[in-house]
Amino acid sequence: MPLLLSRRAFLLTGAALGGTALVAAVGGVGYLALVDVDGLDGYVDGDRAVLNAFLTIHEDGRVVVNVPRTEMGQGIHTGLAMVVAEELDIPFDDRISVDFPVEPLPAYASWFNVLQQRPEEASGPVVWIGRRVLGLLGFIATGASASTMALWYPMRLAGAAARQMLLAAGAARLGVPVNQLTTADGFVRHEASGQSLSYGELAREASVLPPPNDPPLKPASDWRLIGRSQPRVDLPAKIRGEPVFGMDVVQPGLLYASIRHAPVFGAQVARVVNEAEVRTVAGVRDVAIIDGRQVAVVAESWWRAEQAAQRLDIEWAQTDGDGINSAEMSARLQAALGSDAPYENINDGDVEASIANSSMSVIEKTYEVPFLTHACMEPMNATVIVREDGTAEAWVPSQSPLGVRTGVQRGTEWGGVEPTSLTCNITMNGGAFGRRGDLDVAAQAAFLATRHRGRPVKLIWSREEDVGRGLYRSHAAARLRAVLGPDGLPSAYDALVAAQSVIESVAGRNLPFNPGPDGDRLTVEGGDKLHYAIPNRRIRSQHVASHVPIGLWRSNGFSFNTFFTESFIDECALAAGRDPLDYRRALLRNSPRHLTVLNRVAEMAGWGSAMAPGRGRGIAIEECYRSVVAQVAEVTVGEDGVVTVDRVFCAIDVGMVINPDAVIAQMEGGIAFGVTAALMSSITLESGAVVESNFHDFPMLRLANAPEIEVTIVDSGLPPGGAGEPGIVPIAGAIANALQAATGRRIRSLPLTTTETIAERRTRTVLPTSAV
Amino acid sequence: MVEFVVNGASVSVETDSSKPLLWVLREDLELLGPKYGCGIAQCGACRVLIDGVSSFSCITPVGSVAGASVVTVEGLADAEGRLSIIQQAWLDEQVPQCGYCQPGFIIAVTALLESTPRPTDTDIDETITNICRCGTYPRIRRAIHRAAAMLAER
Repeated sequence: MPLLLSRRAFLLTGAALGGTALVAAVGGVGYLALVDVDGLDGYVDGDRAVLNAFLTIHEDGRVVVNVPRTEMGQGIHTGLAMVVAEELDIPFDDRISVDFPVEPLPAYASWFNVLQQRPEEASGPVVWIGRRVLGLLGFIATGASASTMALWYPMRLAGAAARQMLLAAGAARLGVPVNQLTTADGFVRHEASGQSLSYGELAREASVLPPPNDPPLKPASDWRLIGRSQPRVDLPAKIRGEPVFGMDVVQPGLLYASIRHAPVFGAQVARVVNEAEVRTVAGVRDVAIIDGRQVAVVAESWWRAEQAAQRLDIEWAQTDGDGINSAEMSARLQAALGSDAPYENINDGDVEASIANSSMSVIEKTYEVPFLTHACMEPMNATVIVREDGTAEAWVPSQSPLGVRTGVQRGTEWGGVEPTSLTCNITMNGGAFGRRGDLDVAAQAAFLATRHRGRPVKLIWSREEDVGRGLYRSHAAARLRAVLGPDGLPSAYDALVAAQSVIESVAGRNLPFNPGPDGDRLTVEGGDKLHYAIPNRRIRSQHVASHVPIGLWRSNGFSFNTFFTESFIDECALAAGRDPLDYRRALLRNSPRHLTVLNRVAEMAGWGSAMAPGRGRGIAIEECYRSVVAQVAEVTVGEDGVVTVDRVFCAIDVGMVINPDAVIAQMEGGIAFGVTAALMSSITLESGAVVESNFHDFPMLRLANAPEIEVTIVDSGLPPGGAGEPGIVPIAGAIANALQAATGRRIRSLPLTTTETIAERRTRTVLPTSAV
Repeated sequence: MVEFVVNGASVSVETDSSKPLLWVLREDLELLGPKYGCGIAQCGACRVLIDGVSSFSCITPVGSVAGASVVTVEGLADAEGRLSIIQQAWLDEQVPQCGYCQPGFIIAVTALLESTPRPTDTDIDETITNICRCGTYPRIRRAIHRAAAMLAER
């Protein structure tokens, strides 16, 4: 690929001569500043013209939009392609396709907004330097519900700049002033002469023109695509069953591998007792110990490899985790809630004095949630080849191209090989939910590939490895305290959250440095309730280490803290003798954005209307990922104790919406994910190892128990927020509050009860009789 | 050697007859639509039609389908590549998110509508027991009813 250091380098060098002018130029939001700092110059390659890192136009008019994010079901490829198509002025039809080429990584990498920073806010030298660093690292990732908020603006600019270049090319070709030209439906038109030229005809000439720094953007009143639901570009292939996933990668000479991790996390392999015997199984090519910690079987078929792996007799070294079970973990968390020196995340006002001076009794409640796993439908997998010539290539369903690269480097290093080059291919992900940001699978596959030079090795984890040897959502607990003022609202609110630090665990596995647990904001997100008007407020965290690896998990801290806090606010409302909706309205009196969403969902649900005995509705609200989301759950508790979530109403203010149907789908999906966590599944430890192994004991919501869902999008006119995670966030609290309304009983731990046995868990939706 | 019919074409596969049909389809025949999800007949991502019956290919030894007719998701579109009515309903309702489980759902629904052209919600709940982690259930239910209506009009 010809990477020419030409016109843009010249423009920036010119700016650099101005000293502070450089900072001003790159700190702004012009096209060059945003897209082209590390950008890819336009070039012509056969019948295609690359206009910039995000956009290629073929001679026949086909448009390829490069979306530097992983498509894992959230519809991001469609949403960001819509944005480009809008500014480019082309119809959104099957002439548009989406690609995620990893080659121009630096150009994309500068667009990862670690702090969910919107580009229009990203100004100044610090941000610019941050972007340069991320660009140099090639660090991009899909997560934190941040793709749209980070990319919608630069991709608009990329489309708009390309349109200006096409207009300029048209003007040159027709010999007319550019201001006499218009664009429509993929053509540059000259009204006066009736001439028109297609983008395909002009793209090659356009691609080598200097890009404009500040291309005009279409006013919202002219939008034809943004805000109007468009069909997902990736769905036809998925509905036809075409091979789009990492699991479907086929390469000549493919070998397959299955793997066994230690039942107790972190244990070393002491010995493979029957290695020689397993090696003689038909089709088996190799038995390999990976990094001293896993054992893999490589064979001509994955079924063979897995059959042989089932026969492995592995002795694992003893570890400190050997005796740990869930009760012990729970006891550690409870002990941490008694800590006298937790990390202070927020301390506004004077909580201690407010509580000490109050004549009211303190409301104090403790909540807890278990470990959970992601259970992506596509089990973990990676395919890697290390060729005889020293080059390497990887195909991985991943949320992080840099993670794949680092993983392959680590794995080949274990094998004593240093690839001369490495090509990474990011496939579609069959679900991800935070799990696929880790580099573990790529490293394992790469190590195996070094032992079979010249043949690609596809490593697939069995479902049992996926469920039982995962990277879990932390087991977590919180103690919440409040005193109520004369108006019944909390005058002081004090939260202490105990959990494992996800940042510490993820960094330990993936990064060359570790910020450690203190101040890990993922531990307390959702715990601050900053939008509620409470004068004295304190949030503290106490991290509890264990041998269990913790991973990013869709909505992270919100997945437990919002359950804790929204349950607790209902308990405060009950103590004050107030209706939960009215109580929240009073707490949100200074937050019109939240109030609008709250009122909308209450209206949708017909809040306050009578419900039959055994039924109840509960409400919860959260601000997360720059969106505000509120839900009302309606539940029925049968005479047999069976809990059904019948209906969920959801209102979301996600800021400006690109593709409304995709937002609705994310709310529906998030609610299902959250109902599963609230009612059905948990990961438990016995003698240091996970008990659950597959969908029979880590059950999922199915059609028969899926609630009806109604979603309303509230348009606040703010810039886009995130949609991938907010749908999950309020649902557990809303369900717990609905159960209180239906039964008079408050459940403070998920799923519903933690006292049941494994057998009972299989009918998870049954409440213990005492709860009814 | 096991001989059977896949998507209308006769195949003979040199393999261990105990190898699950799923892995024969994926590894030996490169039909990658049926998916591995659990391996224990829980999630339904592997579903294929065996003589018209929706079946878990992950636990079906290939030896047991000798002489049978197997249809995978790849075999549902017609010769010109037009989607089946059920696939079209899936597209119209924009059902899939990640899409990994959807071939299994589409196969299961194909069998359901063959035997029960106008299924009730209870019929659907009892028959379509597949797992979708992305939570596309509301759209799946709508797509089933839409496909049933489209079939009735045909």
